[in-house]
Amino acid sequence: MSESPVRVVVVDDEPLARAVVREFISVHPGIEIVAECANGFEAVKAVSELGPDLVFLDVQMPKLSGFEVLELIGRDVPVVFTTAYDQYALRAFDVHAIDYLLKPFSEQRFGEALARARERLAARDHAPVDALVSETQARQTPLERVLIRDGSQVHVLPVDRIDYVEAQDDYVSFRSEGKSYLKDQTLGVTESLLDPSRFVRIHRSYLLNIERIARVELYAKDSRIAILRDGTKLPVSRAGYARLAKLL
Amino acid sequence: MHPILARGRRLALYLGAWTLVGMLLAALLAGPGGLSATRSLVVAIPLALVYAFFCLSAWYVARSTPLGPTGGVRLIATALTASAISSAAWLVVARGWLELFAEGNRVAPPELFPALRALIFGFGLLLYLLSISVSYLLAAFERSRDAERRGFEALVLAREAELRSLRTQIDPHFLFNTLHSISALTTADPPAARRMCILLGDFLRDTLALGSKDRITIVRELQLATQFLEIEQVRFGDRLRTDIGSPASDTWMVPPLLLQPLVENAVTHGVAHVIEGGVIRIAISENGSSLTIDVENPCDPDRPKRTGTGLGLSNVRARVQALYGDRAGVSASEADAVWRVRLTLPAESVLSEGPNPHE
Repeated sequence: MSESPVRVVVVDDEPLARAVVREFISVHPGIEIVAECANGFEAVKAVSELGPDLVFLDVQMPKLSGFEVLELIGRDVPVVFTTAYDQYALRAFDVHAIDYLLKPFSEQRFGEALARARERLAARDHAPVDALVSETQARQTPLERVLIRDGSQVHVLPVDRIDYVEAQDDYVSFRSEGKSYLKDQTLGVTESLLDPSRFVRIHRSYLLNIERIARVELYAKDSRIAILRDGTKLPVSRAGYARLAKLL
Repeated sequence: MHPILARGRRLALYLGAWTLVGMLLAALLAGPGGLSATRSLVVAIPLALVYAFFCLSAWYVARSTPLGPTGGVRLIATALTASAISSAAWLVVARGWLELFAEGNRVAPPELFPALRALIFGFGLLLYLLSISVSYLLAAFERSRDAERRGFEALVLAREAELRSLRTQIDPHFLFNTLHSISALTTADPPAARRMCILLGDFLRDTLALGSKDRITIVRELQLATQFLEIEQVRFGDRLRTDIGSPASDTWMVPPLLLQPLVENAVTHGVAHVIEGGVIRIAISENGSSLTIDVENPCDPDRPKRTGTGLGLSNVRARVQALYGDRAGVSASEADAVWRVRLTLPAESVLSEGPNPHE
């Protein structure tokens, strides 16, 4: 048992469900609840500000699901999922959750999860967990929405509101309704996550939502520009034009 | 039971037909027998009617040698043998009757009979063969009617099975979450835990009792929805508020638990996805011929579209379609972060239902 208390964040949109975790934790010495959150946004904020050792995370919550919260806060925070649904268990295993508690769970079962968390924490002090393959990169279906973390704030961007994505050094910039959102991701990864029938790589640096195209004009020999509905002009490479022509 | 003896009307019709046969026989007798028209009728009609009863046995002959499995030779042999036996029996009766008649009326000479023997026997043989044929026809007709009825019964059963499968089953996750809430309340607020147990018990019992009925009143259906929402309110607290309308009259009948999937969706796909929660509204409006039920809930307009309300809604659609066909409608729409499902059902009066043992 470590000297300093284990700092815990409890995330569940139901007050009673948080009360169960709070009550079960109270009998274990050396564990301190540093925050209780009723939704994913609060959770992302609390985790990034408080840097807890362990998060009890509900899966089904408004706006951001437990998995989306995990994607945003990164993999270095150990998580125990709590949910009434057993269909997420495999996915929880994929994202290396410490445990998966099915509601309603007993105090004993909760104690087991806590013991596992302590083991993981103790092991981590010596050997940090390797960076894991992004769960979203392993997923089969295209993204429905893009999550962008801006400090402790979170933007949820439905993909049909994205006009285009621009590569900017190690980041990508999502353009949506006149605003830009920076995300720590490469354009190649972004392309692989989005629906290929809706987003096309028109240029080394641009990924375009094809619904936004007004027309494509020849600009010079072998080079074209795409003019979007809002008047924005984007360069189209020769390969990009071939990809675009195939879709349109 | 013999199909002709089964009903008085059939027997009367049958004997009527045989009276005509008797007239034909009279015409035959009048020629070679030298009887007057009236006398031959008096002789022939009772004879024909007696033979009518002989010929009823043809039905059993036909049944004992069904067309399908019986070989052709055996079939013909059986039919001919049966015909010959009954015709011979008829001949004996006819002989007795003719002698009696001749004696009583002192008209027909006893020599009359031999002249008629071949005629009566041949006539009887033919009539019996005809009866056997008719019996086969009747049997085939009955079989096809049976098959038709069985087909129809199978259709009804399949439809009932389909409707049963569409009947609402309570989402087990609702139970898991409710039990988890009760688990929390047992230490935090024991009286509330007990209240919740009772709410849940009542709801489940009513669901079972009413779910097996064909129709329940709209008022009862709304009570079920209210019971469900009361339980969910314990879970969601202030985030879940309700506004449940009431119908002007309690005579409307609806399929039980038709609203349940819609109300469940309103919670799990609606209120549960909105941070500040909102109001689940059930509004009832009625005119003479139809009942309109609106279920509204707040929704997150930015939610991923694939986590829609698919299964529950399509279930309700299929059930309404199976029950009412084109007389009912289900439509869903979204406007200003409010999701609304509108059910339009045709009028069904409480009077068309039997007594309701539950109430």
